[in-house]
Amino acid sequence: MAQNETAHAPADDVGGDTEEFDPIGTLTLIGIYFVILVLSWVYIYYIEFLGRDLVVVG
Amino acid sequence: MHIHAYEKIWLATSVLLILFLLGSVTYGAVGPGVAMVSDTEPTIDAGALDEDERFSEPRVEQVGENEYAAYVVARQFGFQPDPIVLPANSTVTFYITSADVIHGFEVAGTNANTMVVPGEVSEITVRVEEPQEYGLICNEYCGAGHHVMEGKVNVVSQAAFEERTSGGDGE
Ligand SMILES: [Cu+2]
Repeated sequence: MAQNETAHAPADDVGGDTEEFDPIGTLTLIGIYFVILVLSWVYIYYIEFLGRDLVVVG
Repeated sequence: MHIHAYEKIWLATSVLLILFLLGSVTYGAVGPGVAMVSDTEPTIDAGALDEDERFSEPRVEQVGENEYAAYVVARQFGFQPDPIVLPANSTVTFYITSADVIHGFEVAGTNANTMVVPGEVSEITVRVEEPQEYGLICNEYCGAGHHVMEGKVNVVSQAAFEERTSGGDGE
Protein backbone atom coordinates (compact mmCIF):
# COMPACT_ATOMS: atom_id res chain seq x y z
CA MET A 1 0.00 0.00 0.00
CA ALA A 2 2.74 2.37 0.92
CA GLN A 3 4.51 1.68 -2.36
CA ASN A 4 1.40 2.46 -4.38
CA GLU A 5 1.02 5.72 -2.62
CA THR A 6 4.63 6.53 -3.22
CA ALA A 7 4.18 5.88 -6.92
CA HIS A 8 1.25 8.30 -7.20
CA ALA A 9 2.51 10.78 -4.71
CA PRO A 10 3.72 13.54 -7.02
CA ALA A 11 0.31 13.84 -8.73
CA ASP A 12 -1.81 13.50 -5.58
CA ASP A 13 0.27 15.60 -3.32
CA VAL A 14 -1.51 18.88 -3.71
CA GLY A 15 -0.91 20.12 -0.18
CA GLY A 16 2.83 19.95 -0.25
CA ASP A 17 4.47 20.65 3.08
CA THR A 18 2.19 23.53 3.87
CA GLU A 19 -0.86 22.04 5.64
CA GLU A 20 -3.80 23.68 3.91
CA PHE A 21 -6.14 20.90 4.99
CA ASP A 22 -6.44 21.48 8.70
CA PRO A 23 -9.28 19.43 10.28
CA ILE A 24 -8.71 20.63 13.84
CA GLY A 25 -12.29 19.72 14.85
CA THR A 26 -11.81 16.11 13.80
CA LEU A 27 -8.47 15.99 15.56
CA THR A 28 -10.06 17.30 18.76
CA LEU A 29 -12.91 14.81 18.54
CA ILE A 30 -10.54 11.89 17.99
CA GLY A 31 -8.43 13.17 20.86
CA ILE A 32 -11.48 13.11 23.15
CA TYR A 33 -12.36 9.57 22.01
CA PHE A 34 -8.79 8.55 22.69
CA VAL A 35 -8.84 9.92 26.22
CA ILE A 36 -12.16 8.13 26.91
CA LEU A 37 -10.64 4.89 25.61
CA VAL A 38 -7.57 5.15 27.81
CA LEU A 39 -9.53 6.11 30.93
CA SER A 40 -12.01 3.26 30.31
CA TRP A 41 -9.19 0.77 30.00
CA VAL A 42 -7.52 2.01 33.18
CA TYR A 43 -10.82 1.68 35.01
CA ILE A 44 -11.75 -1.73 33.58
CA TYR A 45 -8.36 -3.37 33.99
CA TYR A 46 -6.64 -1.76 36.95
CA ILE A 47 -9.60 -0.87 39.13
CA GLU A 48 -12.42 -3.27 38.27
CA PHE A 49 -10.47 -6.38 37.27
CA LEU A 50 -7.37 -6.26 39.47
CA GLY A 51 -9.29 -4.68 42.34
CA ARG A 52 -11.75 -7.54 42.74
CA ASP A 53 -11.38 -10.32 45.28
CA LEU A 54 -10.14 -13.82 44.45
CA VAL A 55 -7.72 -12.90 41.69
CA VAL A 56 -6.84 -16.09 39.83
CA VAL A 57 -3.13 -16.69 40.27
CA GLY A 58 -2.68 -20.24 39.03
CA MET B 1 5.18 10.30 0.37
CA HIS B 2 3.34 13.00 2.20
CA ILE B 3 1.65 12.13 5.46
CA HIS B 4 -0.45 14.80 7.10
CA ALA B 5 0.89 15.98 10.45
CA TYR B 6 -2.35 15.00 12.22
CA GLU B 7 -2.16 11.55 10.75
CA LYS B 8 1.34 11.16 12.11
CA ILE B 9 0.03 12.08 15.54
CA TRP B 10 -2.73 9.52 15.22
CA LEU B 11 -0.38 6.76 14.05
CA ALA B 12 1.97 7.42 16.96
CA THR B 13 -0.80 7.49 19.59
CA SER B 14 -2.33 4.29 18.15
CA VAL B 15 0.98 2.49 18.54
CA LEU B 16 1.30 3.86 22.09
CA LEU B 17 -2.23 2.64 22.89
CA ILE B 18 -1.43 -0.88 21.69
CA LEU B 19 1.77 -0.90 23.74
CA PHE B 20 -0.19 0.33 26.77
CA LEU B 21 -2.78 -2.46 26.41
CA LEU B 22 -0.11 -5.15 25.97
CA GLY B 23 1.89 -3.62 28.81
CA SER B 24 -1.16 -3.74 31.12
CA VAL B 25 -1.70 -7.43 30.51
CA THR B 26 2.01 -8.11 30.97
CA TYR B 27 1.98 -6.13 34.20
CA GLY B 28 -1.04 -8.14 35.39
CA ALA B 29 0.79 -11.41 34.73
CA VAL B 30 4.10 -10.33 36.28
CA GLY B 31 2.90 -8.09 39.14
CA PRO B 32 -0.30 -9.47 40.71
CA GLY B 33 0.38 -12.82 38.98
CA VAL B 34 -2.90 -13.10 37.07
CA ALA B 35 -3.15 -16.52 35.43
CA MET B 36 -5.54 -18.50 33.27
CA VAL B 37 -7.66 -21.51 34.20
CA SER B 38 -5.25 -24.43 34.08
CA ASP B 39 -5.87 -27.25 31.59
CA THR B 40 -3.16 -29.53 32.97
CA GLU B 41 -5.51 -31.78 34.92
CA PRO B 42 -6.06 -35.20 33.31
CA THR B 43 -9.58 -36.16 32.28
CA ILE B 44 -11.78 -38.23 34.56
CA ASP B 45 -14.88 -40.40 34.19
CA ALA B 46 -17.83 -38.09 34.86
CA GLY B 47 -20.12 -41.10 35.32
CA ALA B 48 -18.01 -42.54 38.14
CA LEU B 49 -17.36 -39.56 40.38
CA ASP B 50 -18.53 -41.55 43.39
CA GLU B 51 -15.49 -43.78 42.90
CA ASP B 52 -13.10 -40.90 42.44
CA GLU B 53 -10.73 -40.28 45.29
CA ARG B 54 -11.12 -36.50 45.13
CA PHE B 55 -14.72 -36.07 44.09
CA SER B 56 -16.55 -38.90 45.83
CA GLU B 57 -16.40 -36.66 48.89
CA PRO B 58 -16.41 -33.03 47.75
CA ARG B 59 -14.51 -31.13 50.44
CA VAL B 60 -11.92 -28.56 51.42
CA GLU B 61 -8.64 -29.89 52.76
CA GLN B 62 -5.32 -28.47 53.81
CA VAL B 63 -2.48 -29.34 51.45
CA GLY B 64 0.31 -27.14 52.77
CA GLU B 65 1.26 -24.20 54.91
CA ASN B 66 -1.74 -21.92 54.42
CA GLU B 67 -2.63 -23.77 51.22
CA TYR B 68 -5.91 -25.50 50.73
CA ALA B 69 -7.56 -27.59 48.04
CA ALA B 70 -11.29 -27.42 47.41
CA TYR B 71 -12.80 -30.35 45.51
CA VAL B 72 -16.12 -29.22 44.12
CA VAL B 73 -18.74 -31.12 42.15
CA ALA B 74 -21.32 -29.22 40.09
CA ARG B 75 -24.45 -31.10 39.10
CA GLN B 76 -28.02 -30.34 38.11
CA PHE B 77 -28.80 -28.15 40.06
CA GLY B 78 -26.33 -27.31 42.77
CA PHE B 79 -22.77 -27.39 44.02
CA GLN B 80 -21.12 -29.68 46.55
CA PRO B 81 -19.98 -28.95 49.17
CA ASP B 82 -22.51 -26.27 50.02
CA PRO B 83 -21.40 -24.00 51.54
CA ILE B 84 -17.75 -24.18 50.55
CA VAL B 85 -16.01 -23.02 53.74
CA LEU B 86 -12.53 -21.53 53.33
CA PRO B 87 -10.10 -20.08 55.87
CA ALA B 88 -9.19 -16.39 55.56
CA ASN B 89 -5.76 -15.22 54.39
CA SER B 90 -4.88 -18.40 52.52
CA THR B 91 -4.28 -19.68 49.02
CA VAL B 92 -6.99 -21.98 47.74
CA THR B 93 -6.96 -24.16 44.64
CA PHE B 94 -10.37 -25.17 43.39
CA TYR B 95 -10.70 -28.45 41.50
CA ILE B 96 -14.13 -28.40 39.95
CA THR B 97 -15.81 -31.02 37.85
CA SER B 98 -19.31 -31.81 36.65
CA ALA B 99 -21.31 -34.97 37.20
CA ASP B 100 -23.62 -34.38 34.25
CA VAL B 101 -23.67 -31.43 31.82
CA ILE B 102 -21.61 -28.27 31.34
CA HIS B 103 -21.97 -25.85 34.22
CA GLY B 104 -20.36 -22.60 35.25
CA PHE B 105 -18.59 -21.81 38.51
CA GLU B 106 -18.68 -18.12 39.30
CA VAL B 107 -18.02 -16.67 42.71
CA ALA B 108 -20.23 -13.63 42.29
CA GLY B 109 -18.46 -10.29 42.10
CA THR B 110 -14.97 -11.82 42.01
CA ASN B 111 -12.50 -13.03 39.41
CA ALA B 112 -13.00 -16.69 40.32
CA ASN B 113 -14.94 -17.85 37.30
CA THR B 114 -14.60 -20.93 35.12
CA MET B 115 -16.55 -23.35 33.00
CA VAL B 116 -17.16 -26.78 34.48
CA VAL B 117 -17.08 -29.51 31.87
CA PRO B 118 -18.01 -33.17 32.54
CA GLY B 119 -14.90 -35.33 32.26
CA GLU B 120 -12.60 -32.37 32.82
CA VAL B 121 -11.27 -30.84 36.01
CA SER B 122 -11.12 -27.05 36.06
CA GLU B 123 -8.30 -25.86 38.27
CA ILE B 124 -8.08 -22.30 39.55
CA THR B 125 -5.95 -20.99 42.36
CA VAL B 126 -7.04 -17.84 44.19
CA ARG B 127 -5.85 -15.78 47.11
CA VAL B 128 -8.45 -15.51 49.85
CA GLU B 129 -8.33 -12.45 52.08
CA GLU B 130 -10.79 -11.33 54.77
CA PRO B 131 -13.70 -13.38 56.17
CA GLN B 132 -16.67 -12.79 53.91
CA GLU B 133 -19.67 -14.56 52.41
CA TYR B 134 -19.74 -14.88 48.64
CA GLY B 135 -22.51 -16.12 46.44
CA LEU B 136 -21.73 -18.90 43.97
CA ILE B 137 -23.66 -19.22 40.73
CA CYS B 138 -23.79 -21.37 37.64
CA ASN B 139 -23.35 -19.16 34.58
CA GLU B 140 -23.79 -21.77 31.83
CA TYR B 141 -27.33 -22.77 30.95
CA CYS B 142 -27.57 -26.35 32.24
CA GLY B 143 -31.25 -27.26 32.20
CA ALA B 144 -34.65 -26.46 33.62
CA GLY B 145 -33.31 -25.60 37.07
CA HIS B 146 -30.38 -23.49 35.91
CA HIS B 147 -31.77 -20.32 37.40
CA VAL B 148 -31.88 -21.83 40.88
CA MET B 149 -28.41 -23.37 40.70
CA GLU B 150 -26.43 -21.55 43.33
CA GLY B 151 -24.21 -22.11 46.31
CA LYS B 152 -22.18 -20.26 48.89
CA VAL B 153 -18.50 -19.67 49.47
CA ASN B 154 -17.95 -18.70 53.09
CA VAL B 155 -14.58 -17.33 54.04
CA VAL B 156 -14.23 -17.65 57.82
CA SER B 157 -11.42 -16.81 60.22
CA GLN B 158 -8.60 -19.35 60.63
CA ALA B 159 -9.82 -20.15 64.15
CA ALA B 160 -13.39 -20.75 63.03
CA PHE B 161 -12.15 -22.91 60.16
CA GLU B 162 -10.06 -25.10 62.43
CA GLU B 163 -12.89 -25.43 64.91
CA ARG B 164 -15.15 -26.52 62.10
CA THR B 165 -12.77 -29.15 60.68
CA SER B 166 -11.81 -30.60 64.06
CA GLY B 167 -15.45 -30.62 65.11
CA GLY B 168 -16.04 -33.70 62.98
CA ASP B 169 -17.94 -32.01 60.21
CA GLY B 170 -19.87 -34.47 58.09
CA GLU B 171 -18.51 -33.26 54.78
CU1 LIG C 1 -25.55 -25.50 36.18
